[in-house]
Amino acid sequence: MEKTGVLSAKEAFEKLEKVGEGTYGKVYRAREKATGKIVALKKTRLHEDEEGVPPTTLREVSILRMLSRDPHVVRLMDVKQGQNKEGKTVLYLVFEYMDTDLKKFIRSFRQSGETIPPHIIKVILSICPSIFNIRFFFVHLFLSIWLQSLMYQLCKGVAFCHGHGILHRDLKPHNLLMDRKTMMLKIADLGLARAFTVPIKKYTHEILTLWYRAPEVLLGATHYSMAVDMWSVGCIFAELVTKQALFPGDSELQQLLHIFRLLGTPNEDVWPGVSKLMNWHEYPQWNPQSLSTAVPSLDELGLDLLSQMLKYEPSKRISAKKAMEHVYFDDLDKRHL
Amino acid sequence: MDFDLENPLGNFHDLPCDAVPSLFLIESDHIPPPNYCQSFKASDFDISVRRDVVSLISQLSCTFDPVLPYLAINYLDRFLAHQGILQPKPWANKLLAISCFSLAAKMLKTEYSATDVQVLMNHGDGGAIFEAQTIQRMEGIVLGALQWRMRSITPFSFIPFFVNLFRLKDPALRQVLKDGASEIILKSQREIKVLEFKPSTVAASALLYASHELFPFQYPCFLRAISDCSYINKETVVQCYNVIHDITREEYESVLNINSTSDTPVNVLDEHFLSLESEKTNGTNVVTQEQDFKRRKTTDYGNNRTVPFSHFHQC
Repeated sequence: MEKTGVLSAKEAFEKLEKVGEGTYGKVYRAREKATGKIVALKKTRLHEDEEGVPPTTLREVSILRMLSRDPHVVRLMDVKQGQNKEGKTVLYLVFEYMDTDLKKFIRSFRQSGETIPPHIIKVILSICPSIFNIRFFFVHLFLSIWLQSLMYQLCKGVAFCHGHGILHRDLKPHNLLMDRKTMMLKIADLGLARAFTVPIKKYTHEILTLWYRAPEVLLGATHYSMAVDMWSVGCIFAELVTKQALFPGDSELQQLLHIFRLLGTPNEDVWPGVSKLMNWHEYPQWNPQSLSTAVPSLDELGLDLLSQMLKYEPSKRISAKKAMEHVYFDDLDKRHL
Repeated sequence: MDFDLENPLGNFHDLPCDAVPSLFLIESDHIPPPNYCQSFKASDFDISVRRDVVSLISQLSCTFDPVLPYLAINYLDRFLAHQGILQPKPWANKLLAISCFSLAAKMLKTEYSATDVQVLMNHGDGGAIFEAQTIQRMEGIVLGALQWRMRSITPFSFIPFFVNLFRLKDPALRQVLKDGASEIILKSQREIKVLEFKPSTVAASALLYASHELFPFQYPCFLRAISDCSYINKETVVQCYNVIHDITREEYESVLNINSTSDTPVNVLDEHFLSLESEKTNGTNVVTQEQDFKRRKTTDYGNNRTVPFSHFHQC
C-alpha cells in the first residue's frame, strides 16, 4: 500500500543554513533539489504517545493547509513525515521563503533609511535631486504609497483568516513576512508554525506579545473574538507611521496603563461590562487624548480608520473586511493586491 | 489560533449573502474528485467494499456525535479516490476504518479509548488486534493521501449560514430545522450518488427538504432565500434535492416493506423553481422581505415537533 518514489524530506531538500530555533524545533533555509526553489523548512519532532499524530498538530496543520491559498498568508507548500536518527517521527513543514519581516523593515527606517530599495532611490533622484531633501521626501513617499499598500494587504490577509473562522491572536510586525522587491506582505506564525519564533533573549527590553495585545485579553476576558486581531492591526498601523510601538508596555499592568493614558481609562459607559472582567481593578482616571497626539503625521482618514481599530468595546471595533472598504484606501491601486 | 470547527460560519449571523466567507470557494478541496462516483458505478464489488468500511466506521462511532462518523467517511472516500479500492482483505478494511475514525476523533478533539475501539471492532470473534504503531503508520498513509487537508468542510459547516438566510426568529424552530437537515445529511452520506455534490449544495438541498416536511407553508420563502444566494447553483440544488428525495423515499419504503411504483411523482422543487422564474420582471428578482412569523403560545411546546402557526405570510 505504501507509495514508492516519494522522496523523504532529507532526500528532497538541501539545508543551506539554520535561520531560527524554537521550543519545538529548528527552522532552515533550504533548497528543493528537484526544482532549485528556496523554501523555509521547519522541522518538529512529534511528541507521540500511543495515539500517534497529536490532535493539536493535526488540527493546526490542517488549518495552515486550508489558509495557504491566500496571497497574504504565508504558504504551507507541503508536509512530510520522516524519521530522525533515533527512529522518532519527525514532521517537516515546507513553507515559501520570505527574506524579511515587517519588524526588520520598520527598524531599517529608524536607521536613516540605509536600505532604501534601489528603484525608490531612482524615483527620488529624478524628482528631487537635492541630497538634502532625500530623507524628508522619502518619508512622505513611504507614507503615501507603501503605508496604504501594506495596511491593505494586512487587512486582506486577516479578513481571509477570519473568513475561515480562524483567529491569529498573536499579530505583530515579526509575524508579518515581507518580500522587499515586491513589497508583498504575508501573515505567518499561525498555530504550530508559531512555535518556530526565534527565541527572545532573557534581558531584551522588547516583550513582543504584550505590545499588540487587546485590552480585553489583558483584562482576562475568556471569550476571544476576531476583534483581538483588529486591535493588533491598529497597533501595527500606528507603528508603521511613527516607527515606534504605540503601546510599549513591559508588564501586563504597564501595558494597560499605556493604553489608558492615550485612550482614557475605560468605564461602563464607553465599554459596557468592562468592570466585570476578571483582571479589572481601580486604575488612575485618565481622559482620552486625541489619536493625533500619538500619530501626528497620519492624515484625517487614516486617523479615523485607526480610531475604529482601537475601539475599547470589542463588538464596536471595525472588522478586517470593513476596514478594507474604508475610505482611507479609496485612492490605493488595488489591482495587484 | 482558535476556531469552532463545527460552526465556522457562526460569526456571520447578520452578514448579507454576498459577504459569505470563502468556505464556498475551497470546499472542493475537501471532497472526492468528480470521477470518484463513476469509478464506483463500474464495479459492484467496490461498492460493497465501501459499504463494509462505512458500516465498520458506523459501529465504532455509534456512541459519538454524528459529525464524527461523517468526517471519518469523508476521509475514507477521499482516500479511496486517491489510492484506489482496497484489496479484499477484511483486516485491511478494519485497519482503514479505525484509522479514519481515529483521525476524525482527533480533529474533533473527541476522547476515546483505543482498547474499546479494538474490542468493538472484533466483536470478540478473535480477529486481528492492531498494534498502536500499525494504526499510526496507517494514519500517516491516510494523511499523506489527503495532503493533510483534514479539516473537511462538510455540509454541517454550511447549515448555520443557510438557516440565517431563512430568517426564522424562534431559536426552537431553527433547531428543529437544523436537526431535520442534519438527519437527512447523515442518511444520504451512505449512498454514493450524493458524493457528486459539493457540501454547500448538499446542505442547501437537505434544508429545503427538511423545511418542506416541517414548515410547508414557509417553504416558498426558504426556497427563494436559497435561490437568491449567489454562491449556490440552483440547477445543481434541484438535482441534489431529487437524489435526497429518492434516498429518503427508498428508506421510508424499505421500512414499510412497500414496493416502489414505477410512477414518478411530479417533483415539488421543479414546480417551485418554475414559478420563481415566471415571477421575474425584466430580469430582476423579487426581493425577499423578512417575514414575521407569529405563532400562538402553547403549553409543552418544546416537546411537540408539530409546529402550530396561527399566522403566516406568503412571499
